[in-house]
Amino acid sequence: MVTVKQVEDDNLVSKGAIPEQLKCPRFCFRDIRIPLYRFSSQSLLDDSPFEGHVCIPEDEQSALDSLLLAQWEDKMWKGVLRYDVTTSEIKVIFGRRKFIAQLNERLGMDYVPKPEPDKICGQGNLSEFQWTKHQEEFLFYVASGEMAIPELIPSAAMPDGAVLIIINEIPVEYGHVFLVPCGPDSLAQVLDTKSLEMVARFAVEINNCSFRLFYDCPTAGTSHRYFEACYFPSPLPVELTPVDTFFHERRRGMRISAVTDFPIKTLLFESNKKFKRMVEVLVEICCQLQEKSIPYNLLISDCGKKIFLFLQMQNMANSGTLSAWECGGYFLFQSRSEFDQATEETMLNKLRDVSLDDEGFQVVKELCCSIADKFAA
Amino acid sequence: MAFKQTRLRVPHGIGPTKENRRIRSCSSSRRRRGRRGRKRMESQLNFNIENSFDSCYSYCARQALDELPHSFTITDPSISGHPIVFASKGFLKVFGYTKDEVVGKNGRVFQGPKTDRKSVMEIREAIREERSMQINLLNYRKDGTPFWMLFHLSPVFSKQDGRVIHFVGVQVPISPPRRPRWLASGVVRNGANMCEEVDRVCGNTNIMFGSCRREVCSDTPVELSRVLALESVLDDSSRGLGIEETCEASKLERQKAEDAINKIFSVLTRHSELTGRFVCAERHSLPGAGILSSSLNISLGRIKQSFVLTDPHLPDMPIVYASDAFLRLTGYARNEVLGHNCRFLSGADTDFSTLYQIKESIQTEQACTVRILNYRKDKSSFWNYLHMSPVRNASGKVAYFVGVQIEEGCKNQDRNGLCPEMRHCSVVGAVKVAVRSLSMGAGPSRS
Repeated sequence: MVTVKQVEDDNLVSKGAIPEQLKCPRFCFRDIRIPLYRFSSQSLLDDSPFEGHVCIPEDEQSALDSLLLAQWEDKMWKGVLRYDVTTSEIKVIFGRRKFIAQLNERLGMDYVPKPEPDKICGQGNLSEFQWTKHQEEFLFYVASGEMAIPELIPSAAMPDGAVLIIINEIPVEYGHVFLVPCGPDSLAQVLDTKSLEMVARFAVEINNCSFRLFYDCPTAGTSHRYFEACYFPSPLPVELTPVDTFFHERRRGMRISAVTDFPIKTLLFESNKKFKRMVEVLVEICCQLQEKSIPYNLLISDCGKKIFLFLQMQNMANSGTLSAWECGGYFLFQSRSEFDQATEETMLNKLRDVSLDDEGFQVVKELCCSIADKFAA
Repeated sequence: MAFKQTRLRVPHGIGPTKENRRIRSCSSSRRRRGRRGRKRMESQLNFNIENSFDSCYSYCARQALDELPHSFTITDPSISGHPIVFASKGFLKVFGYTKDEVVGKNGRVFQGPKTDRKSVMEIREAIREERSMQINLLNYRKDGTPFWMLFHLSPVFSKQDGRVIHFVGVQVPISPPRRPRWLASGVVRNGANMCEEVDRVCGNTNIMFGSCRREVCSDTPVELSRVLALESVLDDSSRGLGIEETCEASKLERQKAEDAINKIFSVLTRHSELTGRFVCAERHSLPGAGILSSSLNISLGRIKQSFVLTDPHLPDMPIVYASDAFLRLTGYARNEVLGHNCRFLSGADTDFSTLYQIKESIQTEQACTVRILNYRKDKSSFWNYLHMSPVRNASGKVAYFVGVQIEEGCKNQDRNGLCPEMRHCSVVGAVKVAVRSLSMGAGPSRS
């Protein structure tokens, strides 16, 4: 039987006084009704080993995966996207690292410097026109749930603590979406535990190895926190590179490693138990990085089991940083000549140029150990 | 086939339990759904698995392989789920399972929380690139005990069309290494002493972590506590080193694996000559036109709806992939549809203008949705809510067309709660993701 629930709207939005946070222009979200996917009540916070959720089938598409792909393809067919990203040629750059290059001529033409969520969720008043324009890009909400199994509600208003999934009309790869946490403190610039947990949970429930999640640390001018995600056709070079573990807490199953021999300094966080603890540690580390003005990016891969942290050079001006997929080894080229002439050496240099130096990396590694110790105690 | 029920019983559509495994195809007066339908599905799968081995190597090969002492499995990537179709006696002994518990399962059920995720990915990549590889891997026996083994993977190629028919996996258990003394005394890093709970590990250690473990054995509290007790014993037994520290296979063990592969292949090639299938250990010819790579087969096997993939570059645009659900819907066997154009689904009352609409969309490389009257093998008709879409590969050009069929008017409950249009789209999206990586060349591109 289908698990579609016709739920009364009022149940989803808390009754009573409207919280202060909702009085900002985002308040308009209440009227937008799109599908809502609720996670099962079994959460990642359990003490139980980080096993596959019983609700997620291993050998077939998960419900969340089907929903995301369906919505994305539907929007593409309806012309919401500026171009069909599958017409962009991709290739592996010849060399040991297997960097991936994409020729995307349309990206240059339509390139919008500020990502969409800023336009929607930023301060200032948005006119009616802008709301209707952007509404078609909203795919669905994701929120935590109470039931033993995930639920899909075909049409609902935004519940508390939801993550809004918005299609990216200038996609980098198939399925490119923004994940915008809409909690009370979502206007804060800093990464928080709840958002990262929700987003990691999302990756786990998608349960598709092609699906990667990204986070670029906020630069000056970004007013809203958001993540991005898409389906990459093959492994990213950083995922194929060996690692060197320097912190391993066996009891809680958390392990921090440095990616060896990769042009940009990268750490890998993994946990096979107490996932929440790892998220807390990671968030604390990121806050400290931000205080030290060290730009960073996150890449969540392997169905939520691996989180890569890319470290870029301390940059007071915070300009010209790379995006997370570039750090991972996936590059976009806007002209055919650039695409044809791309070599592994140029890609290596591109990454090396923005990478944190050895000294800074050592400091960050020490920082990770001390924060992880603090949480372990 | 014994299929251990480990999931929650869910009354709703989302979830993989038996209650939710409904056949997509509708019940006509001549067909039955429900338990009988499910039993038919399972027996069809069992038949496919047995047939996968027997049609290629003959039943006698089973005996010949059973005489070998080695631990190995043979898997079929063209069956949904990439299941094991043969497990040697040596394998059952090493892992502690019976044949029925293993045949039909995917290799991941033998992995567990301490299996290195990176190794798992490397195996996946080797399967995708259809090449041999050897890797040290931590697996789990039926009683939950982990052990290290050297895993050797080899594809079995068809001589005639260059396709990968099976993968052979050999498992050589690795005896635990002697611990170097400096590590046994404890690990010190930057002046901080190692404490019991927190280990700082120096140097290059390849620790493994969490793939989820499919419970094939019982997970009662007794078993679980035994596993935990065992793991803690293993952890404490060596200061600073647990079962997680990587084990390298010795030269002898690597040689054992090579020997095993050679012996297995000699049996398989010999017997395949009897059946006329002719297999070999190396690819002798590039895959023929219309042959899908094993990784694409595996990816498409995850999509449970009815759909087909057709190749517009081949004469008469034949079907190159048909999902199990499509075969159930139309009543045909796989070998009856592969290589044929979809027009066999049309019949006396199929509307010409609809066919023309489809043809035009294909020629202009556009997607289209139509309602078309189609016919099953038994000549009964059904209204097919069909969506067709071009699918591009890494070159950016159209590689295939995907056609998704939804039988109208039947109690077609989608387990994921999606309406028919959305179901069309979810299949198209999944196929696009799977095909996008195909033909991804290296170096300069001019295709």
